Amino acid sequence: MRVLVVRHISLWWSFFTNTLTRDMEFKANFIGSLIVDAVYYGAHYFFFNIIFSYVDTLGIFTSADVRIFLVITFIADTVYMMFFSGNLFNLNKLIVSGDLDFALIKPVNGQFIVSFRYVKSYAIVSLTILGLLLSSLISQNPHDISILNLILFFFSFILGQTIWYSLDFMIGCLTFWFKNFTVGGWLGHELFKFAERPDSIYTGILRKSLFSILPMALISSVPARLLIYGPGWNFLYWQIFVSVIFLLLTRIVWKAGIKKYESASS
Amino acid sequence: MRVAFSKYFMVMRMTWIQALEYKANTIVGIFAVISGVLIEYILWDRIYETRGVEIINGFSLNQLIVYIFFGIMVGQLKSSWVTSFEMIECIRSGGLNKYLIRPVSFFSYHFSLFIGYNSLFYFSYFAMIILFQLIFPGWAFQTPIQAVAFIIFLSMAVYLSYSIYFLMICCAFWFGEVRTLILAFNLSNRIFTGSIIPLEFFQESILNIIFLTPLPYLVNIPVNIALGNISSLEWPQLFINGLIWVVVMTFLGQILYKIGIRKYEGFGG
Repeated sequence: MRVLVVRHISLWWSFFTNTLTRDMEFKANFIGSLIVDAVYYGAHYFFFNIIFSYVDTLGIFTSADVRIFLVITFIADTVYMMFFSGNLFNLNKLIVSGDLDFALIKPVNGQFIVSFRYVKSYAIVSLTILGLLLSSLISQNPHDISILNLILFFFSFILGQTIWYSLDFMIGCLTFWFKNFTVGGWLGHELFKFAERPDSIYTGILRKSLFSILPMALISSVPARLLIYGPGWNFLYWQIFVSVIFLLLTRIVWKAGIKKYESASS
Repeated sequence: MRVAFSKYFMVMRMTWIQALEYKANTIVGIFAVISGVLIEYILWDRIYETRGVEIINGFSLNQLIVYIFFGIMVGQLKSSWVTSFEMIECIRSGGLNKYLIRPVSFFSYHFSLFIGYNSLFYFSYFAMIILFQLIFPGWAFQTPIQAVAFIIFLSMAVYLSYSIYFLMICCAFWFGEVRTLILAFNLSNRIFTGSIIPLEFFQESILNIIFLTPLPYLVNIPVNIALGNISSLEWPQLFINGLIWVVVMTFLGQILYKIGIRKYEGFGG
């Protein structure tokens, strides 16, 4: 097991160095992607500035808390972009064109290679800036944010990423059944919009759904809660449970999909 | 003129038939509108409730949600990033050659493709608007003339938006990779054209800057006409202003294209 983990980490490192070299050759792309990120962050920040010119709180989230929540959402988006988006976005194309064959014949887990082959290295710059911004906001926040909060936040954040990956991966795998599901990326993006608002605004059935079948509230809201308000064990246990279930579901969907796969032009 | 029209109409028709094969696009498009409205409704419901007011900036909660419903649809209809990416790829990879040696205009051909690709959205969103009118009569299109004006301003918004995209696409002659420019424009567009929040909610200083650009003509003005927020007396002036933007953007696009084509080397970039 340990050998397997080390092997996959070293393989991912090779993918990373390979894509980093490639990205460095297209510097305009690199800079352009940073600009897109800046525009995305700026537009959202501007939107919430308008919102907070009308109210002081959104549920338990104050204006200062929402700023932290927003930066966590941006970090979640950037981390996701870095590790997964470049891979899962192409899943449809791989399946339709039959290029998935090249991933399947390699002596490594097929799901691993289609999920991690490309790394968007420009995200490191965005992550550094967002990390500094988050540290600054944490130091200014009136709540007492302890080391335990930070540890729980990191753990919860990784679980959130696992959930988002699983959901997006399963959406991508729908191509096995629909033959050509080009709108998978768009659908994933539309679902993520629910994660871009603090969970405190959702009530009733929608809130329950966003914590269970479409667990978008677990991506950035729960990590933000754990960071700002401290240990919320119920949230954390639930997040662990949901991420394990969703990760298992990806395995089931992937294996079922592979059985349906008919190679080139399937 | 007639020949040119029928030529591009055929392109549009072909793309339309092609688009019919991808019905999932429509389903996801409708989901995008419904989920977008739902999220904004929940957010603004909380804001109205917290403030304990019925009107903010001249909008009641219901009016605001209707605005967002129309805003998301209009925002979607004028968005042409798929066509734009194809056009950029043509310039980068030398695919533009085929337009240079044939009697077709690069601008008009892709405009027909853009309308063709979006045709399914036109039908599905039109059906949604009809349904909306039946369920909530009087919330929008209080008079039939508003519907006519909305269609005119919507058509102008679609063309103006495409012309702005075309300006950015032409930058590919110099910089090669300008897809990020399109993406950045798309992302900022949702907020600064008034797609998910009326421009009336912005600060005066920001609003003054936005009204110096063509952005309000893309979403805010067509939607406000549909909802009856703009008096019919103001329509002619707005139409003339919009038309000026259309002419300016088309002219700039053609100039940029003509200069750019001299730089174009006709091989992969």
